[in-house]
Amino acid sequence: MKYVDEFRNGEIARAVAAGIASLTDPDRHYKIMEVCGGHTHTIYRHGIKDLLPDQVELVHGPGCPVCVLPMGRVDEGIEIAERPQVIFTCFGDMMRVPGSRGNLLEVKAEGADIRMVYSPLDALRIARENPDREVVFYAIGFETTAPSTALTLQRAKKEGIENFSVFCNHVTIVPPVRALLDSPDLRLDAFIGPGHVSTVIGCRPYEFMPEDYGKPCVVAGFEPLDLLQSILMLMRQLDEERCEVENQYGRVVLWEGNLQALKSLAEVFELRPYFEWRGLGFIAQSALKLSAAYADFDAELRYSTPGVRVADPKACQCGEVLKGVLKPPECKVFGTACTPERPLGALMVSSEGACAAYYNFGRKSFEKVEIGSR
Amino acid sequence: MREAESMLPGYCTLDHDGCVTCSDAGIPVRVVSVDGYDALCEDAAGNRAEIAVELVEPVGVGEVLLTHGGVAIGRVEAEA
Repeated sequence: MKYVDEFRNGEIARAVAAGIASLTDPDRHYKIMEVCGGHTHTIYRHGIKDLLPDQVELVHGPGCPVCVLPMGRVDEGIEIAERPQVIFTCFGDMMRVPGSRGNLLEVKAEGADIRMVYSPLDALRIARENPDREVVFYAIGFETTAPSTALTLQRAKKEGIENFSVFCNHVTIVPPVRALLDSPDLRLDAFIGPGHVSTVIGCRPYEFMPEDYGKPCVVAGFEPLDLLQSILMLMRQLDEERCEVENQYGRVVLWEGNLQALKSLAEVFELRPYFEWRGLGFIAQSALKLSAAYADFDAELRYSTPGVRVADPKACQCGEVLKGVLKPPECKVFGTACTPERPLGALMVSSEGACAAYYNFGRKSFEKVEIGSR
Repeated sequence: MREAESMLPGYCTLDHDGCVTCSDAGIPVRVVSVDGYDALCEDAAGNRAEIAVELVEPVGVGEVLLTHGGVAIGRVEAEA
């Protein structure tokens, strides 16, 4: 099949891996962060880590919106969902994210009208079909997902649908990466940039990485060879002492992004002054809220959500894993008190969460490393 | 591996998109027909869905779009 065979070819993968090995300085340790949870998933699913020299370490970044959502925002969603007049809609993964007193699935079991949707447009359809109810969509995601919320709100406004609102938890990718680069406890050499976020925002927003921090960045696709080629491109930059943003994913990502989508985002959203990220704390201008023109659709205003802060469970070390300070199995409760079936922390919920990916695909290679390192 | 997972440019299809909240879940689909701002699209596994196409207009039948949450956000082979 076109695009599949050529991006999963074992022979080419071994050749690219050999190229990476040839550029590796045996006396140096390389730390490369994959920002996106989807890349984390590919790395474990296809055993990319096992193809790399020991000196090249991949560090998982904060690129899973479910995983970085603080518990207080889950609790506030639940509080809205429990209102009798509300039909609460959200993506499937959101249903299992633990709040301080359970998750949306449990609240649904207790009788709240919570419905899983595939698209915010489905939530808008539910609003059209239920004019006597209030339909709320729990919006979450990076710049890839935000355009679908923006477009839905533009349609809602155009159609004059008044019983629809959005609880907005959209976040942006650049500020947390900057926060990580400012963090003193993490030394990174290079970044694998998120492929589909870049479909929307393009490659230009990453130019601060080489310009301000001297770190190369390669925007990468999601097939195994995409990842390997991106690592090779980063290793070449490091070897040649170049430092720039490169686009490995040219078959999908344009350098300037999707201008129509960016225009839509600019109309519907504005930046929040600050937003809380699980594990990273408050980060300035790192999330979106509805603009004044769309205030009538803002569930935070409609239901006067108080903006509560809830601390994570003490045993949970999601924050350290999110920052790349700990590997998932180094968390005290990994695979014991916290599993994909009964997640304690958000990183175990989403299939793209670093802990869930490690639990499902990565434990064998970790055990191998552990045994080998003794 | 399921045939449905052997997809470009990631492993996602309309009925198997991993975690839609995660911004990596881009699903490539081919346009079957266009009706105003909506297009009937089909993934490589044969699943069909109506996709909003305002953000990638104009689109034509046969084009391959990248979709996320029921909305087209880009084109595949953008630089081809």
